[in-house]
Amino acid sequence: MSSSLFQLGFKKFLRAPQMEAKLSIKILMGLLFLYFGGSILFGGIVIYPALSKKFPQQDAISIINSILVLIFIFELIIRYFLQQLPVTEIKSLLLLPITKKRIIRNVLLRSLISIYNAIPYLFYLPISIALFKDDYLLSQAFAWWASLMLLSLSINFITILANKNNKILGSFVLGFISLYVAENNFEIEIIKLVGRFFDSIIEQPTMALIPLSIFFGFYGITFNFLKNNLNLEGSLVAKKEVANAERYDFLDIFGSHALFLKNDLRLIVRNIRPRNVVLASFLFLFYGLAFFPTIEHQPEFFIPFASIFITGGFLLTYGNYVPAWDSEYYPFLMCQNLSYKRYLDSKWSLMTFAVVVSTLLSIPYVYFGIDVYLMILSGAFFNVGLGTWITLYGGLLNKQSLQLNVKAKAFENTQAFSGKQFLMILPKMILPVLLYLIPAKIFNSTVGFITLASIGVLGIVFKNQILNQMVRLYVKEKHQTLKAFTQK
Amino acid sequence: MIITNSLTKIYGDKTALSIDHLEIPKGQCFGLVGNNGAGKTTFFSLLLDLIKASTGEIISNEIAVAKSEDWKNFTSAFIDDSFLIGYLTPEEYFYFVGSLRGIDKKEIDTFLEDYLDFFNDEILNQKKYLRDFSKGNQKKVGLIATFIGRPKVIILDEPFANLDPTTQIKLKQLIRKETEDQDVTLLISSHDLNHVTEVCNRIVLLEKGSVIMDKETTSKTLQELEDYFSA
Repeated sequence: MSSSLFQLGFKKFLRAPQMEAKLSIKILMGLLFLYFGGSILFGGIVIYPALSKKFPQQDAISIINSILVLIFIFELIIRYFLQQLPVTEIKSLLLLPITKKRIIRNVLLRSLISIYNAIPYLFYLPISIALFKDDYLLSQAFAWWASLMLLSLSINFITILANKNNKILGSFVLGFISLYVAENNFEIEIIKLVGRFFDSIIEQPTMALIPLSIFFGFYGITFNFLKNNLNLEGSLVAKKEVANAERYDFLDIFGSHALFLKNDLRLIVRNIRPRNVVLASFLFLFYGLAFFPTIEHQPEFFIPFASIFITGGFLLTYGNYVPAWDSEYYPFLMCQNLSYKRYLDSKWSLMTFAVVVSTLLSIPYVYFGIDVYLMILSGAFFNVGLGTWITLYGGLLNKQSLQLNVKAKAFENTQAFSGKQFLMILPKMILPVLLYLIPAKIFNSTVGFITLASIGVLGIVFKNQILNQMVRLYVKEKHQTLKAFTQK
Repeated sequence: MIITNSLTKIYGDKTALSIDHLEIPKGQCFGLVGNNGAGKTTFFSLLLDLIKASTGEIISNEIAVAKSEDWKNFTSAFIDDSFLIGYLTPEEYFYFVGSLRGIDKKEIDTFLEDYLDFFNDEILNQKKYLRDFSKGNQKKVGLIATFIGRPKVIILDEPFANLDPTTQIKLKQLIRKETEDQDVTLLISSHDLNHVTEVCNRIVLLEKGSVIMDKETTSKTLQELEDYFSA
């Protein structure tokens, strides 16, 4: 029985439309994994000898232990944003003679088969081998490694919980913030305490029972959480959602685009998933608060990032899924009296509108100096002139349909982000960095920002030419996109 | 109005559709029948350029459908529920379709008055989004929306399915009224032989992608179709 559930998952993977994604994307993803995997492995191999050499009077492993908390937090963040979680079609399974326990166990086990769970083997295992070679007992080295592997797998379950439930996510974020505050203001040295805990595992390997119980604890919590959510969340009961009759007439000032802007606004307001994504895009506005006060200590290539991020949150979150937001009724749009040109133009206007709004909302950054605001402004120009088009092109490559109003949240793919999405926003970030950095290195940073802004202005001047080119690309992919979008 | 030449659609080694030549004159009500997998939806999807033909071409009102987007000006269709926008109310949906075809809100309101009887008080002013309507009521919205803006070609896939009996009868009257206008070419597919022979003046029977029968509707057509399908 269990194996047939696994087969189902495997078939879903093989038969998904993304499997037919462009070969070039697959190769790039593969290279990316190889690169990051290789870097982590390399780090794992060199960190122990390097630390022993540099700090001969200290124990290398206890230095590593003292920063483990930070590694965990980093791992959690990466996993939260990038890890794809297993999805199961529960509706059809619920009626079959399979126990709920079995379905959930299967989902949880499948979540363990993930590239992200290779981290303990790539990073911690070489360290533990080095430990063993360095006069530690096998039991000590193994207990240390096993503890970290179990904690990494616990993070796997925490990722599931945080992705499925905003309250849990919120409590984790709150927990981290209070730890941070405690660490900085009240002489409670959590990082050191955790480091000492790992030291004690090496001294006394039976202490590894604690991570083991943490692992089972999170397994149990996740199991119960999913079990309580294993129903169709009242989809059998008639819903009594009252339509809001907002007409958004203020958008009429946008003339012929108003029609689409209104529709997109309704899409965002009335559907769970885009609503969450757009709310997330607001957070980008605050990126500068973390960045500008510490600008002197930041590497130079972070400067264009900041100026792109603050006004480009909407492009990076919502824009990435254009046209997939329309996937539920894409065939309808393709039959309407609506040319691709008009469709894409309206999407461009929507994104431009969002950038303009963000630019206005970021006026308070003038507080950090007019220079800072001019930086943001040059980023905004780039976002409107070129960022929008790169986003639209990235969206074209995204061949995955989206369900707008997901009901059975716990088992559906509710993530706003995946590795492939990450790949698509890479050019959006690398290009502005290059456009800024090259002239900034040759001349000075002002020239860098002027270049960034003028590329954006060029994009606006040649908008029609770019639009026509984009229409050609979209028309070429039309049937492929339709095929992928009609596959659920 | 619509001419297809050596049209085929092949998936792998399976031929989903293969029609040598078909001409649908202006003003005709064209009925398509056939069992599941006969190629009805494939044919309609080809007409709407939703899928790409393996060979051949479709000329609609002198426009090659696969090459130009201009056929969209005079064509409307309702194939399945992917032709509805779930997060809109029926009114908003009608206004949206209307404005795409250059018709403003007021005109839509007058247009909808003609269909109040068809809607049976279940569609307008319900304060509900389309996704929360029943299948049958969703279909009513989709069907009526295809009539907005007097399109010259209307394509309806299985319009009678999911409708309650009263609405089926009302829909037949609507279709007949629509085809009185000699400018409108209507294409319908259906599993209901009764309905389709009643409203269409030409029946084409597909099987495994090929045309088996192509006849003007007469009083004998229904019997002939029943004989074919029961054999």
